[in-house]
Amino acid sequence: MFAPTLKIRLLGTALVAAALAGCATMTVRSYSEKGATFPHYETYMWGPADELTTGDPRLDNNPFFHERVRADVEKTLAAKGFKKVMAAPADLIVHYHASFRDRIDVNGVDREYGYCEDVDSCRPYVSEAGTLTIDLVDAKAKRLAWRGWAEGTVNGVIENQEYMEKKIDDAVTKIGENIPRR
Amino acid sequence: MNRFLRASIFLVPAFVMAGCAPATMNVSSHVDRAADFKAFQTYTWGPADALPTGDPRLDKNPLFKDQFQGAVEKQLALKGLTQVTTGKPDLLIHYHANISERLDVTGIDRPYGSCVGENCQAEVNLYEAGTIVLDIVDAKTNKLIWRGWAQGAAKTMLDNPDEMTRQINKAVPQMVAQFPKAF
Repeated sequence: MFAPTLKIRLLGTALVAAALAGCATMTVRSYSEKGATFPHYETYMWGPADELTTGDPRLDNNPFFHERVRADVEKTLAAKGFKKVMAAPADLIVHYHASFRDRIDVNGVDREYGYCEDVDSCRPYVSEAGTLTIDLVDAKAKRLAWRGWAEGTVNGVIENQEYMEKKIDDAVTKIGENIPRR
Repeated sequence: MNRFLRASIFLVPAFVMAGCAPATMNVSSHVDRAADFKAFQTYTWGPADALPTGDPRLDKNPLFKDQFQGAVEKQLALKGLTQVTTGKPDLLIHYHANISERLDVTGIDRPYGSCVGENCQAEVNLYEAGTIVLDIVDAKTNKLIWRGWAQGAAKTMLDNPDEMTRQINKAVPQMVAQFPKAF
């Protein structure tokens, strides 16, 4: 039924206030590899830089973004008691990956009363979603020991350098809180 | 009903077509706050960017290159920077053009501020977003000291050389205006 039309119509839906609020938050999650021996990890080094694109040309090869992430990760790891080394051997190898894309949010697909009240609550909208993933790899076993990530809406973040830096600080700090204590 | 709605929403990305795209141009920049911009007097174009643009119409497009570089040179001159082709310039300049697909939801005209049933429909469009990134590098340290960019819908620009000229002449002055060079 969609094929003949060039435009796809979405049925606008009622606002579920909680759903809208949910769009603005940052979700932070992590998992540890079973058997990863965190108390034994003492040192870390940076792995080779990520070759994947961020999905946003403004951030690819952008030192203002990437150096901030690296500095924050180093701060966080230091606070956890890990020691940075410049060359192998290290117990852990650290990688990160940042990724950005557009996402459609449809407000309240479950429209309870069959109608919606106002313009803002009725329309679906596009938001920029950003994900920052930090990987800690067991250097000896060459296996991922821990992965943490933060995901959230980043509308207008890249455009504003200070805001971007604050978001990075926030994301890395929160991701870092989940790293198992030594 | 809800199941159908969900299904249709997930199908959207596959079916949306290039229709209306946002008319606004988004211009912004990042800067190395520690750099001493007063010290920079001269510049030259660095080696061309090897990254593909994401659109064959823009790859190795001399029309775009000449017009863009010309517009940048003019704006940098207004900032008091001199282009040099010999010796050791203070700054190296690179740019990268990119076309990527992005999503937009068109506004819904809802005269009464509320909607029922069919009136609640909105359109989701896939459009070609063009981004031009201008990088300015300190030639001595080889560090990026400033990155500016302009982003907007690229479709009309790619299909129409006059429109390309118009868009370049609109984007570049706004971009370069953000370069923190003070006299």
